[in-house]
Amino acid sequence: MWTYIKWGFRIALLLLVVGFLHYTLPQRDIVRITNTYNKQTPIGANAIFYSSGDSGTADTTAVDTIRDIRFIDAVFPDGESVMVYRNEDTGWVWPPYFKYDSSTLQAEATNLQSDKTNPQWVAVTHYGWRLPIFSVFPNAVRITPVDGPDVQLIPWINIVILSMIAFVIFMLRRMWLQFRERTVDPALQDVEEAWDVVDARADAAAGRAKGVFARTMAWFGTWRAKPRR
Amino acid sequence: MIIVWLRLAGIIVIGSTIVYVLVSIYSRSVRRERLENEWDTDPAREGLPRDERDAYIEAGIEAYRHSLRKRLIWLVYIVPLVAISVIVYVVN
Repeated sequence: MWTYIKWGFRIALLLLVVGFLHYTLPQRDIVRITNTYNKQTPIGANAIFYSSGDSGTADTTAVDTIRDIRFIDAVFPDGESVMVYRNEDTGWVWPPYFKYDSSTLQAEATNLQSDKTNPQWVAVTHYGWRLPIFSVFPNAVRITPVDGPDVQLIPWINIVILSMIAFVIFMLRRMWLQFRERTVDPALQDVEEAWDVVDARADAAAGRAKGVFARTMAWFGTWRAKPRR
Repeated sequence: MIIVWLRLAGIIVIGSTIVYVLVSIYSRSVRRERLENEWDTDPAREGLPRDERDAYIEAGIEAYRHSLRKRLIWLVYIVPLVAISVIVYVVN
């Protein structure tokens, strides 16, 4: 029973982390831009999936507002599946894209618009998801022309960011182990030695207390790394 | 606008300071452990009084205080600023 709860909790946590990274990290789509436009968009309960108004203008991050948001329609190389990107400033804190040139990006997108007969393929760097049920759109960050629909792009930015996250986790673990080795364990040793003195002085009373201590130590022991199975 | 920038600056300063403190504690601890191990595993120093061991370690820590390694921890403050500048330049 506990095993199921434990694993359910771990899987939920993992899904949360992976989902968060998948939403936030940049991705690139190879598409052809078919249309660019603005749309009055009411933002309500899905506000978490929208960014701020143009940076430098009045603060319009309040829930239940209507904002004029730029959109970019695009079609994938298969000619059927389409994608709608929003084009919003991200503001200055989260997600940390520090994008404040939505108008310029919209102009670039309009410039790169093309039709079926004479396609101009572009790579749209974006983050976020398309969730039609909540009217949620990925936010386009950068648009660059590419040679053709089959061009291979290497996600260098994601490689760097994920390596950095792995490095930070590795260092945090090293730091924690060092802290335990140099600070926690000696302190426990002191407790143990002090306890031995008490033990020698009052055998009968300490005999009972030692059961408590042994249990406490066993509990501490559960925090130690176990040999891998 | 200014409030937003101040908020960003505040977050960076607080976050970097936490990282700086953690990294300096860790780095010093690693150095001290290495000094202790150097002394303890050196056969020539066996049986020397404990005072000398302490003095050796303190001297080593004092040298560490002025080392390049300790100064490099300031990168914790510089790297985020450089990263943000690069992102701002590339995205916009």
